[in-house]
Order: sequence, then C-alpha cells, then structure tokens
Amino acid sequence: MLVLSRQRDETIMIGDEVEITIVDIRGDKVRLGITAPRAIQVHRKEVYEAIRRENADAARVQVEDLRDMDRQLQDNHRRRPGETNGAHRRSVNP
Amino acid sequence: MRIETSRFGSVEVDEARTIRFTKGLLGFPGYTDYVLLEAGDESYFWWLQSTQSPELAFVVTDPSLFVPTYRVPVREPQLDDLGAGSPDEVQVFVIVNKRDGMLTGNLQGPLVVSVHQRLGEQLVLSDRRFTTRVPLMELAGKVRAASA
Repeated sequence: MLVLSRQRDETIMIGDEVEITIVDIRGDKVRLGITAPRAIQVHRKEVYEAIRRENADAARVQVEDLRDMDRQLQDNHRRRPGETNGAHRRSVNP
Repeated sequence: MRIETSRFGSVEVDEARTIRFTKGLLGFPGYTDYVLLEAGDESYFWWLQSTQSPELAFVVTDPSLFVPTYRVPVREPQLDDLGAGSPDEVQVFVIVNKRDGMLTGNLQGPLVVSVHQRLGEQLVLSDRRFTTRVPLMELAGKVRAASA
C-alpha cells in the first residue's frame, strides 16, 4: 500500500481522472472531497462489505426456507384480498 | 441446455434466457451466468440459479411488490454497461434472505437486469434508507394483530 502524507486542501490524483482532496481534519476524523468521472462509482467500503456479507448469507437459503416464506405470503394475501399496500402479484419478464 | 443444480436436480433451461452479470455478484466475482427459475405457480419469488455452480442460487423478488416507494437510480453509464437504452428496459430485483423470523430484502444492493440484452449488475446504493436487510414481512410463529 502506498502511504502519503497530506495537509488540509492538498490533493491526491489517482490516474488522470480521480482527485481526492483533504477538505477538513478534526481530531481523528478526516473529510475527503472526491472528484471522479460518473462512470466510476465511489462508495464507503462498509457498504460493499455489508452487501458482500448479505450475498454470502442469502446464498445459503434452501428450498424449504423459501417454501415457508412463500406459503405464508400467499396466506396473508388471501386473508386480506382488498389491501393494496401488501404484496400483489405482477408479471416479470426475465 | 441442461444444468445441474443442488436444489432442483438437473434442469433444462433455454440458453437464450441466461442472464450474464459481467462482474458477478459482490463476493461471487467468478460466477457470471444465471437463469431465473420459477419458485412455484403462485410464488412471489424466483431462484437466480448459477449455471456454473450447482450450489449457487439466490432467492430474488420484485421489490415493488413489497416496498412500492422503492426506486433505484440507474445512471447513464450503468445503462450503457447493460446495453439498455432507457430505464424502462431494466428490471429490478432484490436478493431475499430469511433472518430471525423475518423475510428481508437487500435493498441496498439491488440487481438490475436489461430486459433485452439480459445483462445484469448488482448496484451499490448510497441511500441510507435502504439497507441490506429491509424487513419485507414477518414470518409465521409470531403473534399477528387480528383483523376481524
């Protein structure tokens, strides 16, 4: 890992198109300003990690788990046919 | 083509119905090709089954069935990547999980699929209202308020 020291208002370039500026430093908190092309997504790493963990967990769902969920959903729907804020069926193309 | 699955045995699927996630799903980068299998006649769910790994499958649903206000901001570069001309040509799914007696949807990492090109991508949303574990419904076993 490359480690750089920067002061407030100083900038790092990543390639030709990504700029990261130290906007503010207060205690142990650093505020960064990031300029990047629209095609490059910028996110907090925690969000990525959360989605990665959730994917790994969701890959463990088995047929019986879904059957339980599905059956109850259909029961609920039948019990409350007039309600519109619950789930209602709609066709999906793919 | 015929694919092997750990949950459904050997399944015949139309190769033209394959959905390709060029980057894979987060945490599963090597697995790009999936098919949607119906979970049942009256089901609200589909199985997104990998055609490359028999064990790898996710339950997905149409989030608008559960959270009508949910919107996914698909940006132009992403539409281009998916080969979609407009947001209308994209279908949104979320991965479903069963957790602590709840049915939850990963609304922070939705799957977007171009209807014609059949290319998919898992997006990462910054919007903090939508977490990876949004309760979609409470499962049986808990007391429900009677609606006499």
